[in-house]
Amino acid sequence: MSAGQAERSGFSLSWLWRPGRRHAAPIMLLLLLGFAAPLIAIVGFSFGRERTFALWQTPTFESYRTIVEETFYYSFLWSLGMAVATVVILVLICYPVAYGLAKIFGRWSNLITLLMVLPLFVSENVRLYGWVLFLIKGGVLLGTLKSLFGIDAESVLFTPGIIVFGMVYVYLPFMLFPMTLGLSMVSREVKEAASDLGASRLQVFREVELPLAMPGMIIGCLLTFVLSVGAIAEAKVLGGQSVIPIVHDIEIAFTYAQNWPLGAALSVLLIVLVGALVLLVLRRFDLDRILGRR
Amino acid sequence: MAIQGERVRSNLVVVWTAAIILFLYTPLLTGLLATLTSSRYFNFPIQKWGFDWWGKTLKSLEIHALFETSLLIALIVTAISVLIAFFGALAFARYEWRGRSIYQKIVLLPIFFPQSVLGLALLLWFNALGMETSWHTAVFAHLVWVVPVATLVISIQVYSFDPALEEAAFDLGASRWQVLKEVTLPVLWPGIFSGALFSFLLSWGNFPLSLFTTGADTTVPEYIYAKMGVGYTPAVPVLGTISTIGAAVALLGGYALILIMRGRRTAARGTA
Amino acid sequence: MQQYNQTGPVLMSASVRSPILELKGLTKQFGSFNAVAGIDLVIGEGEFFTIVGPSGSGKTTLLRMLAGMEVPSSGDILLKGERINDLPANKRPTCMVFQSLALFPHRTVGQNIEFSLKIRGEPEGRRRERCFHLMRQLRLPESYYDKAIAQCSGGERQRVALARALAYDPQILFFDEPLSAIDYKLRKALEKELKDIHRETGKTFMYITHSLEEAMVMSDRIGVMRDGRLVQVGTPNEIYTEPSDKFVSEFMGEVNVIDVRRGDAGRVVSDSLGETFTSPPLPPGFETGHLVVRPEFMRFLASGDSAENRLTGRLYNEYALGSRIQYQVRVGENVFILELLRQRAFRANLDDEVTIGWDSPNSILVRN
Repeated sequence: MSAGQAERSGFSLSWLWRPGRRHAAPIMLLLLLGFAAPLIAIVGFSFGRERTFALWQTPTFESYRTIVEETFYYSFLWSLGMAVATVVILVLICYPVAYGLAKIFGRWSNLITLLMVLPLFVSENVRLYGWVLFLIKGGVLLGTLKSLFGIDAESVLFTPGIIVFGMVYVYLPFMLFPMTLGLSMVSREVKEAASDLGASRLQVFREVELPLAMPGMIIGCLLTFVLSVGAIAEAKVLGGQSVIPIVHDIEIAFTYAQNWPLGAALSVLLIVLVGALVLLVLRRFDLDRILGRR
Repeated sequence: MAIQGERVRSNLVVVWTAAIILFLYTPLLTGLLATLTSSRYFNFPIQKWGFDWWGKTLKSLEIHALFETSLLIALIVTAISVLIAFFGALAFARYEWRGRSIYQKIVLLPIFFPQSVLGLALLLWFNALGMETSWHTAVFAHLVWVVPVATLVISIQVYSFDPALEEAAFDLGASRWQVLKEVTLPVLWPGIFSGALFSFLLSWGNFPLSLFTTGADTTVPEYIYAKMGVGYTPAVPVLGTISTIGAAVALLGGYALILIMRGRRTAARGTA
Repeated sequence: MQQYNQTGPVLMSASVRSPILELKGLTKQFGSFNAVAGIDLVIGEGEFFTIVGPSGSGKTTLLRMLAGMEVPSSGDILLKGERINDLPANKRPTCMVFQSLALFPHRTVGQNIEFSLKIRGEPEGRRRERCFHLMRQLRLPESYYDKAIAQCSGGERQRVALARALAYDPQILFFDEPLSAIDYKLRKALEKELKDIHRETGKTFMYITHSLEEAMVMSDRIGVMRDGRLVQVGTPNEIYTEPSDKFVSEFMGEVNVIDVRRGDAGRVVSDSLGETFTSPPLPPGFETGHLVVRPEFMRFLASGDSAENRLTGRLYNEYALGSRIQYQVRVGENVFILELLRQRAFRANLDDEVTIGWDSPNSILVRN
């Protein structure tokens, strides 16, 4: 492709295509130093001896053995389970909104999108803490119930359910926007054509709308799944440590336990898990098509 | 009849969307409520309303320092991020080159990565390099996550950019620098602006990366996190509300600015 | 010498057919805007009816109402005598070929064509049989059955869209300018092909386009639409020879239009040319209007030639249009165009003084 273009644009225009690589260089350098290198470092650490803080030493599998022998799989399972629950709930609650943004709201879409984006820029701690104040005993919800109706209910805080609630809350935009992008790729005419050919509303949805919106929805699911697996704040702030997600284990290993190799090994497992999933799904997508065609 | 069903469905979607927006804003509004009490602890319904904690918080020197650190980090991150992301976006969406498809996926990877793990990995890496963590290292950590997002935001604008414009300007005798200044930058400006806004706001609100990479320095989100439990005073929601309002002003102001610029441009075209 | 009122091939006049579709005062309002403003029309079974109009004339809205994608504000749509205003698109025995074709990009050629059969729950064997039959009829190679839509050329996509609509076995097929995005040569070929398909299937076709030329090639009858109304309905020949007004005559293609007013002795006067012309008989009450002369009915006059009307000007330019040559003659500020067959080309130099003329039966008098 690039060679063909070069020939077409002739020698004098050759700089127009060559800069591809050159323009990619700064960001690639940044990611090499700030993303690839730390990941390699973490892999290096994971083979270190327990409670050591140096990178260069004879590799051992001690930390991995510890992980297998102890009950860390419990945290992994909790994290994965809560992530799956979060994704499923998000698909259900985001679909109508995404549909509205793509097809119904018209010129209001921009404003509504803006309203949905805004909370993203407030640190998730602040927002989750808002929920604590809302849900806590003597907070907005229970305080109102008590003073107005005399109902003395128990707080839903510090349960696994509320952690999923928090993750649904925090990651909602990450499902909503890719989904909207996907749905806006389904043209009205294609759906009309299906209906014109005799398809019922349900059939139009199943045969045309859903398959065409799929790329956006899969991106949304992937994004929210990965973010949920890596979530920690929800469990800490709302869950009150009723559940220890995997990232919390990692943090404990790095901080209180001062066992960096163990934390690194847990991180490596998490990264391998998430990375494999991301690469598997992303490989099947043509990003130009999803992002470029609006 | 068909149109009736359509309308009912549209109304349901509108109501649902309104509910979701309310859902998104409930904790922010709760935070605002929590600032309006005169007492030390939050109890609802509020017994003694007052702005006392706003005054106390705004006067606190400690909090001034927090805002300075957060602002400094966010501004530096924005400047560097836009520069890198602008070129990154051209490589992402504008140029055809071998390796572009892989490049696009590499750029997306950090966005799909758990930030707290990234923060820890960076901490490890800085340690391995023998670097002391401070707000400087936090800037770098933010960049790793913010630059890919900004690249993506600018790329969306670049996709709608017709490369023939650059070729035409070049054909009309413009130098490479003039093409950039007279054609590429003005056309891509809304995307670049959005990228800058995103960079600033994402850095401003970031917690998981800051937590592990600021060392002795503290940003606003970190401070709030530290004071959430035992150290709670209404100063915590005051800080949260201030940063919410700050983000809202930046975002809405930026959006209004884009609308105004666009309006002015169409007006100019109309009279021409 | 050519004359108007020549008769083209008459296939079947509309009055002989039994009506399939009746529109009564059909209106669509968007806010206060009348997109379609009271249309009365009867379409016969098996007819190829084309609606022609410029963009914004309301023709797409009209078609969308007929197909069930837009609900009329008032008026009725009767299909074989039954009111179908409220019947949704998926319940109507009609089918549309969209301007964008609206092919399902995630389905193969075969899956697209079989879509309605699958929806109807027909067994796979029957679906496939019907699909291959249609592919043969539309000259799509069988190997295309598993081809992705993205791999098909423009013309092939047209055929897939048509096959998909035909597979539904509709009583009426609607076409929303499906050929507008196709290059000239292919479009010409597809126009003829469509007319052949119409003949083979015997179905009622209703077509909309902004190109009267396209309409002329294919249609049994044409309705010219403007500002939500039907300005004229008639056979291609009627529209061509007796346009009801200046709009229709100009829509027919390049014509010479002279603004005129009633003169003495059944003649008309052009103030801009300062001339008096012999025209067809003035309709009663005619005061001002336009004298329309087609380029092929104007001729260059040599010194001895006679003509009822004549003008002298300068030859400004000439254009080769394939089998014909077009000439532009300027008389003062006024521009006239003439067309001659190539073998009868007029020999003169640019800027030469030339005399042009025409006879009154070859002109048409239309009101404003």
